[in-house]
Amino acid sequence: MTSSFPGLDQHAGKDLLAGYAAGTADGVLVWSAEAHLTGCARCRSALSEHVDAERLARNRSVLLARAAIPEGGPVRRLLCRCGVPDHLLRLLAATPSLRGSWLLSVVGVLVVVAGETAAVAHGWIGSGGHPGPAGYLHREVLVPFMLVAPLLVLAAVAAAFLPMFDPAARLAAAAPFSGLTLLLARSVCALAAALVPVVAAAFAVHGPGWLPAALLLPSLALCAFALAAATVMDARAAAVVAGALWVLPALLLAAGHVPLLLVQRNAQFACAAVLCACAAALFARRDRFELGPMR
Amino acid sequence: MTLNVGTAAVRADGLSRRYGAIRALDEVGLALERGITGLLGPNGAGKTTLLSILATVSEPDAGSVSVFGLDPRDAAQRVEIRRRLGYLPQELGFHRHFTVAAFLDYVAILKEITDRRRRAAEVARVLAAAGLEGRARTRIRALSGGLRQRLGIAQALLGDPDLLILDEPTAGLDPEQRLRFRELLSGLPGNPVIVLSTHQADDIAAICPRVVVLLQGRVRFSGTPAELAATAAGRVWAAGERDAGAHLSWRGGDGRWRHVGDQPPPGAELVAPTVEDGYLLLSHAAGAR
Repeated sequence: MTSSFPGLDQHAGKDLLAGYAAGTADGVLVWSAEAHLTGCARCRSALSEHVDAERLARNRSVLLARAAIPEGGPVRRLLCRCGVPDHLLRLLAATPSLRGSWLLSVVGVLVVVAGETAAVAHGWIGSGGHPGPAGYLHREVLVPFMLVAPLLVLAAVAAAFLPMFDPAARLAAAAPFSGLTLLLARSVCALAAALVPVVAAAFAVHGPGWLPAALLLPSLALCAFALAAATVMDARAAAVVAGALWVLPALLLAAGHVPLLLVQRNAQFACAAVLCACAAALFARRDRFELGPMR
Repeated sequence: MTLNVGTAAVRADGLSRRYGAIRALDEVGLALERGITGLLGPNGAGKTTLLSILATVSEPDAGSVSVFGLDPRDAAQRVEIRRRLGYLPQELGFHRHFTVAAFLDYVAILKEITDRRRRAAEVARVLAAAGLEGRARTRIRALSGGLRQRLGIAQALLGDPDLLILDEPTAGLDPEQRLRFRELLSGLPGNPVIVLSTHQADDIAAICPRVVVLLQGRVRFSGTPAELAATAAGRVWAAGERDAGAHLSWRGGDGRWRHVGDQPPPGAELVAPTVEDGYLLLSHAAGAR
């Protein structure tokens, strides 16, 4: 028996089978061997003597493990094609505010508040103590939507970074993967996922045409404030304080019948300033997110 | 109690930690060599706090820690420690909608194993080590408590850690699983530093060449299990009746009463002390029980 492949009418030699099983045989010989093995039961049987059973079992278990890890849906595949690393997308799978049930809840709340606004604007229901002509010029009707929309975005981001929503937060804290990277990736994805229905709903309500764009900066500023505040206080408290910073002025301006002041020019400048300051604070205190939830 | 720590792989000096008025750790000193060290102590003794500090997820109010010569107070060195760490927290939470394999894959990424092939190989390896091969596709919410504990152990083994910190790893395991766990730990390659906390003195006696007893936030004993058992030598008695004068009395599996005390109860016979006797005597002396 020789190590070269003798041809389709002859059988493979021991050396070739051993090299084929070990993965050390020459490329052309491997192809010939594979073509021959497909139709030759005797050589397949002879090959089994050269196979490392332990290695085979190990390879099989690796293949089974790989098959048991879900590939993900079309969104993950799309993001992969856009260049987002696969491992980062797998980490995002643990973000509660990216799950379908969460996003459906957000859409549900938006449907209710935007529906109420539309109903008032069309005169189907009363405007709640401030009678006047129907339509967006009667600005108090926008108050529930303006109050809730940025809070939904904040809640989505808070759910992405609060340890209470991550049951495996301690494992993440004890792992070498950057806590800041994980936090930012989750927060940015949660922010994007929540902004889509919020902005869509802002187009649907009977408000000024600039309202969808005007909600972006306050939403971003609130989220940035919550993240920055979480570097100096308990993360839950930070989210609550950020929410209060939106709710209190919104209610005060609504009481003064000028709710849109909260998203008009001066407020936009203030939100931009808060966003920049919080981003700087977050960068300066980024090490805090590497320590973990217990400190 | 502060020990002479020398050149131990992991060492702690003067660790203190408070939670409000509660002093969880009080100037704890510790030196851990390669091999398995058991941490014994009752609930509230500070075991979990100590292990979470060694695992770099918590910080002490005072004192210092060194892991393989690295200082966790420095950000870069802390990451390096985490690269060599396997950690099973006492109350490990799971993403319940994940499958077993997906959860291990998730933790492997957190451990910076980003290559898909290597991750799959690691997941397969730890699945086999924890006896979970047949559960790879099972959702975590469908696992029993014992299986979840095995999954917790499996995730700690990802990446072949040099330092394995296991907080109550045998909780929820049945006797057969505990035996398998002991075999698994004893057979780990590379002789890593392993610290495990447990209430089970027989786990300590079976697999730990060294034991540390933590009581009321202080190290009360550090030595071999035989040395711990020897602290109760000449003070453990077996009798047919309960002895009101003994420090501690309990009925054993053979129906006889076992007493730990300074004076022999009437008609009692002196018996060889166990690790549990030594631990109970220490606990009693410290007023922890």
